[in-house]
Amino acid sequence: MSLDYVKFSNGFEKFMPKEYRDMVEHGPFGKKVSVSQMGSFKEVLEEHPMCAGCAMTLFIRLAIIAFPNPEDTITVGTAGCGRLAISQAAIPFVYGNYGDQNGVASGLSRGLRLRFGDKPKDVVVMAGDGGTADIGFQQVLHSWFRRERFTTIMLDNEVYGNTGGQESGMTNRGAVLKMAPLGKKFEKMDMLQMAKVAGCAYVATVVPNNPRRVESVIKKAVLIAREVGSTYIQAYTSCNIEYAIPTDKVMEDAKTVENDRYQFTEYVSEEAKQYLTERYGYKEFLAKPAAPAAAIPGKA
Amino acid sequence: MYLVADISVEICAAKSCKLCTQYCPEANTIQYSDEMGKDRGFKYGSAYVAVDRCKGCAQCVWVCDNMAKNNAIKMIMIDQLPMAALTDNITYGEKSTTAVLASPVVG
Ligand SMILES: Cc1ncc(C[n+]2csc(CCOP(=O)(O)OP(=O)(O)O)c2C)c(N)n1
Ligand code: SF4
Ligand code: SF4
Ligand code: SF4
Repeated sequence: MSLDYVKFSNGFEKFMPKEYRDMVEHGPFGKKVSVSQMGSFKEVLEEHPMCAGCAMTLFIRLAIIAFPNPEDTITVGTAGCGRLAISQAAIPFVYGNYGDQNGVASGLSRGLRLRFGDKPKDVVVMAGDGGTADIGFQQVLHSWFRRERFTTIMLDNEVYGNTGGQESGMTNRGAVLKMAPLGKKFEKMDMLQMAKVAGCAYVATVVPNNPRRVESVIKKAVLIAREVGSTYIQAYTSCNIEYAIPTDKVMEDAKTVENDRYQFTEYVSEEAKQYLTERYGYKEFLAKPAAPAAAIPGKA
Repeated sequence: MYLVADISVEICAAKSCKLCTQYCPEANTIQYSDEMGKDRGFKYGSAYVAVDRCKGCAQCVWVCDNMAKNNAIKMIMIDQLPMAALTDNITYGEKSTTAVLASPVVG
């Protein structure tokens, strides 16, 4: 996989569909694109069957735009709604059995390092909260304890959306769902703390009502995973079907939930800060110049 | 028939903040054209919708009304739209796109 895999074979250009030609000629491959240019370049994500107005769809759209090198990226997914869109992008997508995504990604990322050496090939897992915190939990945690160098993104809609509304470990206590009619009896799992305990080098929470922030956390997570270790992003991506959110209120809900219980948080290990600063020129982790000493009243 | 989003060039081109292009959940759907506003004498270009990709969620309406505070987008039955942008008629340029409008029903 490289930029060449998307290009036309000689003489075939005229037989390719318009969307494909647009993607090769005006897509993000080999260039730097950003969310501020959205609407002006061809995105690699194509049409897919996810529900109208789904915040998870928006998050996936933004995440794919934020990949630092889309032509050198492989996504890994599992059963759940997200794969319906992730699989419809011009980025190789690996789909295994439900819950084995972090095991698959571990092997894949190691294999790519053997094959390509230092040339970065980014592996990004995107899976639902059920896939990550319930069914895939063991493989997720072990991949983190092993410091596998790839990014894990939880598409946290706080429910099993694809199968019609069962509670997951990430559902909030008390939430009533179609297939949890008495309300969930246990607390939402603290996967952020677990990611830190397991040694992730970068852990962030994000909500898609802030596209630039989504872009920034995805970039950092993918870059850090190239060399430093595992990275984890937990994104609130509401399920408007199972939580009965009118589609024109999905961003209002995202804002409310962000203010209420899904504030932006970011943990960056010291090693990761140093790596981003030295390798990719990040300025935000540089020591701030010391503030001038405040005058102490009464002292000369 | 079903609803799709329709952006008023006159209203959008006065502000042209591009917020809706970043919030539509569907890829390649709300596009941006420099020409679309400027060719009508406005200072800026305008966002527009490739209606064949729009799923009718109206999230862009909320974003334009509440975040951009510009009320440029309305939902409209697709057969009530005389002319609209369709993927096949969109051309990408260096920094913007152009669209030749056509009837979304007749094509
Ligand atoms: C081994 C196995 N068990 C059960 C299923 C059925 N199944 C498909 S998607 C899904 C739930 C997905 O929930 P989540 O991971 O939270 O993703 P969401 O659909 O909410 O995005 C289940 C149980 C399956 N595909 N494989
Ligand atoms: S079921 Fe929920 S999470 Fe799945 S695509 Fe529909 S709105 Fe999105
Ligand atoms: S949000 Fe409204 S004003 Fe801003 S680009 Fe979209 S239509 Fe135009
Ligand atoms: S109605 Fe929904 S799908 Fe259609 S353009 Fe607006 S945000 Fe996009």
